[in-house]
Amino acid sequence: MLRTDEILSTIQMLHAEHLDVRTVTLALNVDDCSATSMDQVGRKLRAKIVRCAGRLVSACDRIGRKYGIPVINKRLAISPVSHLLAGHGRATAMTVARTLDEAAAECGVDLVGGFSALVHKGITPADEIVMTSLPEVLAGTERVCASINVASHRAGINMDAIARMGEVLLEIADATAEARGFGCAKLVTFANIPEDNPFMAGAYVGDGEAEATVNIGVSGPGVVASALRRRIELEGQNLTLGDLAEEIKITCFRVTRVGELIGREVAEELGVAFGIVDLSLAPTPEVGDSVGEILRTLGLARIGAPGSTAAVAMLTDAVKKGGAFASSSVGGLSGAFIPVSEDAALAKAVADGHLSLEKLEAMTSVCSVGLDMIAVPGDTPAATLAAIIADEVAIGVVNNKTTAVRVIPVPGGKAGETVEFGGLFGSAVVMDVRGAGASDAFVKFGGRIPAPIQSLRN
Amino acid sequence: MVTDHRSTRMQPQFPNAYVLNIMADDHPGIVSAVSSTVTDLGGNIDTASQTVVGGYFTLLMVVSLPEPVTPSDLAARVASGGPEADPFQVVARPYRGEAERAADEPVERFVITAFGKDKPGIIARFSGYLAGKDINITDLFWSRSDDHFTMISQLEVPGRLDLALLQADLEELAGEEGFTVKLQHENVFVATNQLRLTRTPTPAQPHHATH
Repeated sequence: MLRTDEILSTIQMLHAEHLDVRTVTLALNVDDCSATSMDQVGRKLRAKIVRCAGRLVSACDRIGRKYGIPVINKRLAISPVSHLLAGHGRATAMTVARTLDEAAAECGVDLVGGFSALVHKGITPADEIVMTSLPEVLAGTERVCASINVASHRAGINMDAIARMGEVLLEIADATAEARGFGCAKLVTFANIPEDNPFMAGAYVGDGEAEATVNIGVSGPGVVASALRRRIELEGQNLTLGDLAEEIKITCFRVTRVGELIGREVAEELGVAFGIVDLSLAPTPEVGDSVGEILRTLGLARIGAPGSTAAVAMLTDAVKKGGAFASSSVGGLSGAFIPVSEDAALAKAVADGHLSLEKLEAMTSVCSVGLDMIAVPGDTPAATLAAIIADEVAIGVVNNKTTAVRVIPVPGGKAGETVEFGGLFGSAVVMDVRGAGASDAFVKFGGRIPAPIQSLRN
Repeated sequence: MVTDHRSTRMQPQFPNAYVLNIMADDHPGIVSAVSSTVTDLGGNIDTASQTVVGGYFTLLMVVSLPEPVTPSDLAARVASGGPEADPFQVVARPYRGEAERAADEPVERFVITAFGKDKPGIIARFSGYLAGKDINITDLFWSRSDDHFTMISQLEVPGRLDLALLQADLEELAGEEGFTVKLQHENVFVATNQLRLTRTPTPAQPHHATH
């Protein structure tokens, strides 16, 4: 039997703090949709997606209602399209992308991830098709999300691929110039890409995964921020950072248990395996639902001020500890996201000049997922964009963790200007890129930065 | 605060079992006085649940005795253990065992919570609706502060009922009265508060099953 105070505390999380499930992502291997003709690939892909994901949204809605917990996003991730495109050309890439877009719409799914290629050691002709078709695909579809893995701690950093991605980003921005380069918001460049990540734009299904699984992204940072504020109001000055870390842990335990409860039931209803719970706190532009807000609650008057990296490190660690105790199926990125445009407090810190690209980079070294949803001037050279990616993936490769870059060179955009992306993507102030144009020769060397040494770790 | 005192089917120790309900102003020593009386009679307390509401103490228990007594004598004996100025109010009746629910129909446990401006008749409306659907109330909490009420009730909902319809009915009922109401499966509260595993939703648990 439950106790009244237990019920009340859950009700508090639900109604006052907006506990929810951020995403239920159906991960689907579509390698069996390959065929020699372009039309046949499209037909098989569409049929499989609609057959497997057709009931995803209704299942999430029904189960969410049973528990009184809304499932905010229902999404789809597929195995890398590079597998389907082997032996095909760019026309097939477009067919596949349009099919994904239409099938996702038919299933009521807002985003589908997996227009992906893994090029951390080398680029196959199929990978090349994926990369070169990105501008057309991201401009010509609404729901398709792409990811490219350019580095891993075993292979090192593929600088040729990164140099190419610098150019591709500018091409995508150009192709979606009317939407201020929004196409780039649907592309993530990774180091050590997780094979079971449920969050967009980087979700895809890795090689070691089952045919179909349900992966969960737990509730957002708003719940953690509220729990911290309440604890501070109650106990104020007597608290230490250790106590606050404990509060984060407990809250994350609770949100993870809710995520797994709902994920397992959705999986059962769809007749597929339950995959993982991703513990990441994923902000939305909604006021209060913000990792930046947590940092402020932890006593940083300005986000980006000294102490910000330590606070993010404490937050991420506490999130992992609470979540790992709550579930034996933790995976994905499982950290804290700091996507600038999608987090109102971070976006404001950039606008106020408190948070620079360099400080953000430092903060990403202790959380996931990297430089995320960052707008930079449209005239940033391709080699500089490549060098930004190289810096970020180096953090991931050396520290044996996932890092990524989702950067948007805003066509015609100048540092300080506000860009509106709308909806979940929020709005961002274009950040100043110091030293733009000064990395060309480094990037031009190309080749591969060797995998890092695994001993002598200081 | 209610604990699960029905998790296993209870067998009284002695052949003559009685249900006793004791009410008093809450103060230290009531349980001691009542249990001493039972011990003096050579009896055993087989199950008990105590709660305090609004400063009043109530204790509901099943006691069994080696020798039969009349319920009124037993009640008088227990009441005599209280202070003379303010004796316990005691009701006693013979214990007839736990009632079976119709054919042990499968039920799922839900929690209903409601909040709003207090006025007479709210519990009557909710409980009237639930009774009409054969939904059993296993626990009820109600509090009133600053003109507003909080209601929390734990329910056993027969598996045959359509959850979406129940939720819609309750929301309509609450909407008419200007309340907020939620009907949620208990697993979400277990998941967020307790270390035990949530029970899988199917198959439904039989009435009185352990959990």
